Amino acid sequence: MRPLTLRLHLLVPALALVLPILAQAQSVDPTGPIQTELRDPSVPRALRNVKPAPATQGAALQAQVERKLRESFDAADVAGAGALTREQAQAAGLGVVAKNFDRIDIAGTGKVTFEDVKRYLRSRGAKF
Amino acid sequence: MGIRSLFRSSWFVASVTAAALTVSACGGSSSGGVGVVPPPPPPPPTLPPPSNGNQPYSDPTAYSSARSASLASAVEAAAITRHQITLRGNTIDYTATTGHLTARNATGGAEEASFFYVAYTIDNQNAATRPVTFFYNGGPGSATVWLHLGSFGPKRLVTGDPSTNGVTPFPLVDNDETLLDTTDLVFVDAIGAGYSEAIAPNTNQTFWGVDQDARVFRDFVVRYLTVNNRLASPKFLFGESYGTTRSAVLANLLETAGIQLSGVVLQSSVLNYNSNCGVVNVVLSCSGYLPSYGATGAYFNLAVPAPTDLLVFEQQLRDFTVNTYAPADLVFLTNRTLPATSVLNQLQGFTGIPVSLWSTNFNLGPGTFQSQLRPGQLIGRYDGRVSAPVGSPLASQGDPSSTFITGQFVAAINSYLVSFLQYGNGSTYVLLGTAINTWDFSHDRNQLPDTIPDLAAALAQNPVLKVLAVNGYHDLATPFYQTEVDLARLGNLPNVSVRNYAGGHMTYLDDTSRPLERADLTVFYQSALVVQ
Repeated sequence: MRPLTLRLHLLVPALALVLPILAQAQSVDPTGPIQTELRDPSVPRALRNVKPAPATQGAALQAQVERKLRESFDAADVAGAGALTREQAQAAGLGVVAKNFDRIDIAGTGKVTFEDVKRYLRSRGAKF
Repeated sequence: MGIRSLFRSSWFVASVTAAALTVSACGGSSSGGVGVVPPPPPPPPTLPPPSNGNQPYSDPTAYSSARSASLASAVEAAAITRHQITLRGNTIDYTATTGHLTARNATGGAEEASFFYVAYTIDNQNAATRPVTFFYNGGPGSATVWLHLGSFGPKRLVTGDPSTNGVTPFPLVDNDETLLDTTDLVFVDAIGAGYSEAIAPNTNQTFWGVDQDARVFRDFVVRYLTVNNRLASPKFLFGESYGTTRSAVLANLLETAGIQLSGVVLQSSVLNYNSNCGVVNVVLSCSGYLPSYGATGAYFNLAVPAPTDLLVFEQQLRDFTVNTYAPADLVFLTNRTLPATSVLNQLQGFTGIPVSLWSTNFNLGPGTFQSQLRPGQLIGRYDGRVSAPVGSPLASQGDPSSTFITGQFVAAINSYLVSFLQYGNGSTYVLLGTAINTWDFSHDRNQLPDTIPDLAAALAQNPVLKVLAVNGYHDLATPFYQTEVDLARLGNLPNVSVRNYAGGHMTYLDDTSRPLERADLTVFYQSALVVQ
C-alpha cells in the first residue's frame, strides 16, 4: 500500500466551522437509533441536548491554552503575590516551574511571574 | 508538515470492538459506603504455591465499584510472577507484578485511592532509558481488560475478529506483537473498575469526573514511578476511547507537575465530545462519520463503483465530505433543504445507503446507519464489519461486535489473574461499573469535555512531546475522520500524527492490522526517544 500524506490542517478552517453546527430541534431519527447506553463513548441522557462548545483553533485555541496555564500558575500562587519562588512552585505541585526555575528566572530575582513562564515556554516553541 | 495519515487497506480482514459491558457491578461482594460496615470479604480463589521465584498474593480485601464505596485503608501489595516470551528468535525474561498502589494527593500527601494494576517489566534494564507505558481503557468506568488481553501485552486472546465464528473460548497465546521489547507495560484500572477503589473519606464517586479522574490518575502515575524508581524513564500514555479524553487531560496535568512525557498514543479517540454526533443526539452534523460509512459500505460490497483501493477511496470520501457533504449538511441542518439529487446519488454510491434514506435522514447518524445498511441485519458499532441478523442473540444488545467478544474477555481475565498472574481476590473483577451514569463530564467551562486545549497545553509545556492517534476505518463509535478533524485544530505540528487501519474501535484485534499498528508504534517510540 502506498502511503498518502495529507495536510489536514488545510481542511480545518472549513470543517471546524461546519461540524459543530447546531440544528434547531433536530428531529428524532425515524428509523430508531440504536440504544447505546453505557457504551463508550456516550453520556447520560440529561447531557445529550446540551449546546456543544465551539471547536476553537488558531488564536482562540491558544488563548485557551494561555488561560489554562495561567490558572495553574494562579492556583499555585496561594498568596496571590503574582510571583512564585522555586520552593512555592514545588510545594504547590507546579513542577514544570520548579524544575525549570533557573531558566525561567533569567533576571535571577528568585521569583518568577506568569509572564516569565510564558516567555520561557514561548522560547521553546509554545504557540500561545 | 501537517498531520500525516498513512492509510492501509485490507478489506477482508478485520477487527472488533471495544469497551463496554457490565459484569455484575458488585457481585455480592460490595463493601458499603462510608460509615457502613462492609460484609466480610469473600474467600479468594486458590492460588498455585510459590515456586520458581513466583510470589502469589491472596488479597483478602473486598473491593467494590459502587458509587458510595470506599476502602477504610489500603495496602500496597502485589503478586510477582516470572515468565518468558520468545520474540523474533529472542527469548525475553519478564516479570509480571499484579496488585495495588495508593495514589496520594499531589500536595498534601493524603491517600486518595487504591489503584489495581498489572505491570510487565524486563529485569536489569537501565531505568533511565527503558520506557514505561501506562495503558487504560475508557468508558468511563471500564476496566483495562481490552487493551490488556487484546492489544500489545505479552499475552493476547485470539478473537478471529471480524468473524464471529472463531474458536471459543478464545485461545490465550503469546503475543508476537507485544510492545514488551520496546517498553515496560503498566495496565491500570480506573477507580470503580476492576479492583480499583477510593480510600475513605473519598468515595468512588469522588473520582468520577473528567478532572477528578485525571488528577487521581496523575497521582497514581507519580506513585508508580516513585515506588519503582522510574522517574527518570521515558514515559508514555496509551489510552483508548474515553481513555484518550483522559490522556489529553492527564498529559497536561503531568507536564504541569513536572513529569515530562515522551509520547501519547491515542487509540480510537474521542477528544471532543462536542463534535461526535453519535454522543450528543443528532443536533450535530454527522459529516465526520461519512468516510467510515463509506469504508463499511465498501466492506459489504455496497459501494458503487466498487473501490479497488481503500486508501484512495477514503481520500475521495474526505474530499467529498469537506467539499460537498459537510456544506450541504450545514444547509440542511439550518433550513431543512436537501441538496441536488446528484449529491444524494453520490452519497448512495459512496456508502450503499439508498437515496430514499438519504432523503429522509440527510444528517445520517451512526445508529441509523447500523440498522439500515443491510436490511434485516444489524452491523456493529465498534466494528461495522461485524453483522448479525436482527433479533439474533448477537444483535440483542445493539452492537454485535461488542457482544461477540465481551463474555470471552470476562471469562479470560478472571482465570488469567489467578492462573497466570497468581493474584487472588474473592471480589468480582468489574469490567464496566456504573460510573458513566453519574460522571461529571464538565471540563474547562464546558458541559461536555473538549480536550484539544488540554493536548495543546501539554504540547505548549513540552514541545518535544509526540502524539500518535491510531484509528480503525470501520469504527462507528469514534470515527477516524472526526479525529483527524479534531486534531487538525492543533495546527501544523510535526510531532502529531495519525495512522488508520482496517478495523473497528479495537484495531488491534484484527490479525492483519495489529502487526501494522505494532510496526507504526515501534517507529513512534523510536522517534519519541530520539528527541529525549
